[in-house]
Amino acid sequence: MRKHWLIKLLMSLAVLVGFGLVMGRQEPIHAASEPTYTIGTVDSFEPFEIPNNRGTYNGKNPGIEIEMLQQIAKHEGFKYRLKVMSFDATLTALQAGQIDASMGGMSVTNERKATIDFTKSYYDSGVVMAVASNSNIKSLKQLKGKTVAVKSGTSGAIYAKSIANKYGFKIKYYKTDNTMWSDVANGNSAATFDDEPVLRYGIRNGMKLRVVTKAVNSQPVAMGIKKGQNQELLHKLNDGITWMQKTGRMQKLLDKYTKGSASKADSASQRTIPALIKNNAGALSAGLVETLKLTIVGAFLALVFGIVLGVMGIAENKVLTGISSTLIYIFRGMPMIVLAFFIYIGMPGLIGHKIPLFTAGVITLMLDEGAYVGAIVKGGFDAVDRGQWEAARSLGLPYSKALVKVIMPQGIKIMVPSLVNQFIITLKDTSILSAIGVMELTQTGTVIISRNLEGFKMWLIIGVIYIVIITLLTWLSNYVQRKVA
Amino acid sequence: MDKQYKIQVKDLHKSYGDNEVLKGINLNVKPNEVVCMIGPSGSGKSTFLRCLNRLEETNSGHVYIDGYDIADKKTNIDLVRQNIGMVFQHFNLFPNMSVAENIMLAPVQLKKMTKDEARKAALHYLDIVGLKEKADVNPTTLSGGQKQRVAIARALAMKPDVMLFDEPTSALDPEMVGDVLEVMQTLAKQGMTMVVVTHEMGFAKRVADRVVFFHDGVIREQGKPDEIFDHPQHEDTKSFLDKVLNV
Repeated sequence: MRKHWLIKLLMSLAVLVGFGLVMGRQEPIHAASEPTYTIGTVDSFEPFEIPNNRGTYNGKNPGIEIEMLQQIAKHEGFKYRLKVMSFDATLTALQAGQIDASMGGMSVTNERKATIDFTKSYYDSGVVMAVASNSNIKSLKQLKGKTVAVKSGTSGAIYAKSIANKYGFKIKYYKTDNTMWSDVANGNSAATFDDEPVLRYGIRNGMKLRVVTKAVNSQPVAMGIKKGQNQELLHKLNDGITWMQKTGRMQKLLDKYTKGSASKADSASQRTIPALIKNNAGALSAGLVETLKLTIVGAFLALVFGIVLGVMGIAENKVLTGISSTLIYIFRGMPMIVLAFFIYIGMPGLIGHKIPLFTAGVITLMLDEGAYVGAIVKGGFDAVDRGQWEAARSLGLPYSKALVKVIMPQGIKIMVPSLVNQFIITLKDTSILSAIGVMELTQTGTVIISRNLEGFKMWLIIGVIYIVIITLLTWLSNYVQRKVA
Repeated sequence: MDKQYKIQVKDLHKSYGDNEVLKGINLNVKPNEVVCMIGPSGSGKSTFLRCLNRLEETNSGHVYIDGYDIADKKTNIDLVRQNIGMVFQHFNLFPNMSVAENIMLAPVQLKKMTKDEARKAALHYLDIVGLKEKADVNPTTLSGGQKQRVAIARALAMKPDVMLFDEPTSALDPEMVGDVLEVMQTLAKQGMTMVVVTHEMGFAKRVADRVVFFHDGVIREQGKPDEIFDHPQHEDTKSFLDKVLNV
């Protein structure tokens, strides 16, 4: 009887995971007559990749490389689908055979040439210096004793470090373009060094900066293919790039994204908080819906998984309790972000099968939050007086009936407050899934800010949305607790 | 194994780690017999009682109930337990159910009774223990004596042949003890086979067919109540009775 009962639970779990797979975001599948390639690209790298508010490249002005690929595919007659990930993940996925080519403002380096066949380069990206538009600094020499802002890990940062002693300036490191540029525009830092197209794009979008030097340390940018593989695709891409360069299409595309100045949409009236909310309402609500979907599906699966773990954890069978405590130990001990990377980026290589983003997110939540729920459920059952078991069993009730009729109702009452708390934590934890590119509320925020550069106001708006949702959830859960108690 | 006995225990040993708490117990209980087990705390009498329905696993020896060896893995212990009622020191009523539901649970789940039949039966047993009017209250609102009487009714509802009582009055206020003992005495008169671990010497004297004195994990002495209480043979028995009777 007891096994029968457990099997039922496990079966419903399997059905739910299947449901999650179906719910997962599916990329459109093209007709099979022309070859379809999977191209890995980055989640944002302006102006090469500019995601729309929903984190995809479907809209107008999706960036230099995206538009270039569109034109080449049309010219060369092949189909492709984009797989969006972090820059580092494109390199791993390329080697793992998950993608046919990678693209993301990638510099051609000797180190990378060992494992990657590069296409022809279509752009030389060099480092330039920019200052506030009202600054009178014009040359490196004027930086003596001043502070310079750079983004860590970029070629701008490497260049700045190499000349810092010579010109006598100090370096301040930033994580995002937006905060770094604001620091320069506000006059806190005297100048910044960054890739020319990146800076030009920022200026074009309203950042009050001015480029004052010529590009140095230029490095060619190209697409990559796993060494020795997919030579047909390599050939098509090279052919397409040559065609674009000869016909002037490439230059036109580059100018479109790096020349000129701010568009009209960036006037001050569009940058107030109400205007920002209004302009991004669609994206924000889509992000919120995704967050809620993840929370509800994830928390539900976590509850089912956690109950299975908890029930196994109090079983008389030592093997079951061992499995339960091991799983809880592993998934509770592993940072959720590592688990998310493992499932989304690591697992496909192991099972030879791609995992849709939403599914990967939900599985991550199920395992991580489920481990916590498992510990709560086990604790709740353990907290029921031993005498309750003895009384039920001595009446002749089998284990499963004693569990369901006597122990569970009492255990659940004990665990409800902790479960409710875990549910709220699950909602907050969905933001961690932004790391693998799930377009939930936090990732939506990141994408919006990369376009409008309004970090302070946008994070304020998003923070308030989280607080409001969690407040509503807390009210709801207090109501539920009163009902149960 | 002898068919004439309801309960037959042969050379039962039980240890917790290195601590042997039962050191070879032999005991037979005939149908309709009332056996009271007395002895100092830690003498092993409660542990022994719990071995009779396998709430405790034994290390060696045999326990036969109606001829079934309950230590045998092939024996369906749940079926055997349906025939053995047990009453605990701390009542162990289910707080998530009403008084009547406590009593109805096992008959509905195990005897395939409908809820109506089970409720009727529950009211009947509540009547026997004098608590019919408490059928629909939550057990947590009852006094200790009332709880224990409900627990007895719950055990009786499965119509067991044997009732085990594990210090049923030890957790009660003195004025509650009488009601519970009265119910137990009625059961004994009606011919229920009973094994009772108790500190109520008066009850043992009055109701028991046989008194068993436990000491240090063995049965030191057993016999009819007057033999044990009036003419104890063993020094340990004398010293125990001196302590409990002359307070």
